[in-house]
Amino acid sequence: MIAQLRSELLKQRTTRTNVFLLLWMVGLVVLVVLLHVLSFGVEDLSRADNQLKIAGLGTSLAALFASMLGAMSITGEFRHGTIRPTFLANPRRERVIAAKVTASALAGLAVGLIAEALTAGVEAAGLAARGIDIELGGGDYARLLAGGALGAALFAAIGVGVGAIVRNQVTAVVGLCVWLLFLEPLLLGDVPAAAKFGPGASAGAIAGAIQTQIADDLVAPALGVLLLAVYAALASAAGSIATTRRDVS
Amino acid sequence: MPEASNDRAAVEQPLTDAGVESARTLSQPVLSARNLTKRYGEVVAVAGLTFALEPGTITGFLGPNGAGKTTTLRLLLGLAQPTAGDALVFGRRYHELENPMHRVGAVLDSGDFDPGRSGRNHLRMLALAGDIPFDRAEELLELVELQAAADRHVRTYSLGMRQRLGLASALLGDPELLLLDEPANGLDPAGVHWLRGFLRQFAETGRTVLVSSHVLAEVAQTVDAVVIVNRGRLAATVELAGLGGAARSLEDLYLELTTTEAA
Repeated sequence: MIAQLRSELLKQRTTRTNVFLLLWMVGLVVLVVLLHVLSFGVEDLSRADNQLKIAGLGTSLAALFASMLGAMSITGEFRHGTIRPTFLANPRRERVIAAKVTASALAGLAVGLIAEALTAGVEAAGLAARGIDIELGGGDYARLLAGGALGAALFAAIGVGVGAIVRNQVTAVVGLCVWLLFLEPLLLGDVPAAAKFGPGASAGAIAGAIQTQIADDLVAPALGVLLLAVYAALASAAGSIATTRRDVS
Repeated sequence: MPEASNDRAAVEQPLTDAGVESARTLSQPVLSARNLTKRYGEVVAVAGLTFALEPGTITGFLGPNGAGKTTTLRLLLGLAQPTAGDALVFGRRYHELENPMHRVGAVLDSGDFDPGRSGRNHLRMLALAGDIPFDRAEELLELVELQAAADRHVRTYSLGMRQRLGLASALLGDPELLLLDEPANGLDPAGVHWLRGFLRQFAETGRTVLVSSHVLAEVAQTVDAVVIVNRGRLAATVELAGLGGAARSLEDLYLELTTTEAA
């Protein structure tokens, strides 16, 4: 298990996939946060809840990119055929999936920290440039950083599970994008009472904000951690079962 | 589906159950397929295939495209589950082996690399999974003459270089059994010559090789015996000593056994 984990960590570091993912995320965070900070009026931007909502954009992008990183750690192996040597080296497939979940979660932690730190930095710089006082405190930032990192780590595990079930890289990535960028925000707007228990909303509950939602409208942070952990465990278990039962062509 | 006729007993020995039994009492076969069957929906890829390999031999695995060679290798390696029958290496199913990389090495397809990873890192990620020191990866890069290209992305490798990297991956754990699917594909004549010498040396130390190929002349020069499959069934097992090692007579036999439509 430790040997497989070391192998998976080396895999994460030895292609440019994750570097490209990270660069895309950094670019998107800067762009989206700047667009918000520069386009809204001074009065709106001066309110603490709006400042928190903008900070929540980082939570959303961190969850998205962490889940893509997790999914690609396995769909990439199916795409290039390296899944065969991987399973020849370790035919206990459930251990390979467990190692991928662990390695991706660790990478997801880093993704979450980077996204939230960058979001906070760009937002603060943008607000300062417009002469607006920052209403967020150290507690808000600490929660964004810690919660964003934890949320991204669990979303990376969800991504591994989804990738193991779907196997096709494009399908997995598009599916995760559609859920996190369209469906879940849509549901949160239409049926918040039910949608606040969803995975994205749970990540928001941990970090304090996600996209247009702040924690006040979401579940309690502890319940958010529990819900997201359950989603991650379910996705990983389903991915592990799907991988163990199906042939590798 | 017509069966191969059995009137060439002098050169071919279709493996009966009795043959398998006696082989097992002499020594545990390194690899054995017993009544191995794999169905994909309506398609029967492998249909009741039985054969076994003895230690220290190089066996050619021959058959037309779609005969079930690659499927059989995947079943033996645990990548796919048989519909019926057994595919065993060292008397066990592949996933039951304690340290599979140290027992079995396989080159299935020259495309099993991430094009954006270097050759060296490809070997290292597999070495880590098998608890094998990185020094062993360096040894193998030297053996297959890829040191100069080791830090380049695999996407820049020629087909022959990929074959050699695949062989290096298979050898990481210093296995006792090698399974190779069309390993001469893309190798230049010097590379083929080198591979032949390497496999000979490998088998001389008591280790075993199964090499699937459709280049008959190449096989006749390298292997001790051939297993010929057609339409998922065993057509014949042949000791090449009985053919005098002649490529020509192997070709005759192969064509006779595998062009059933004409028979």
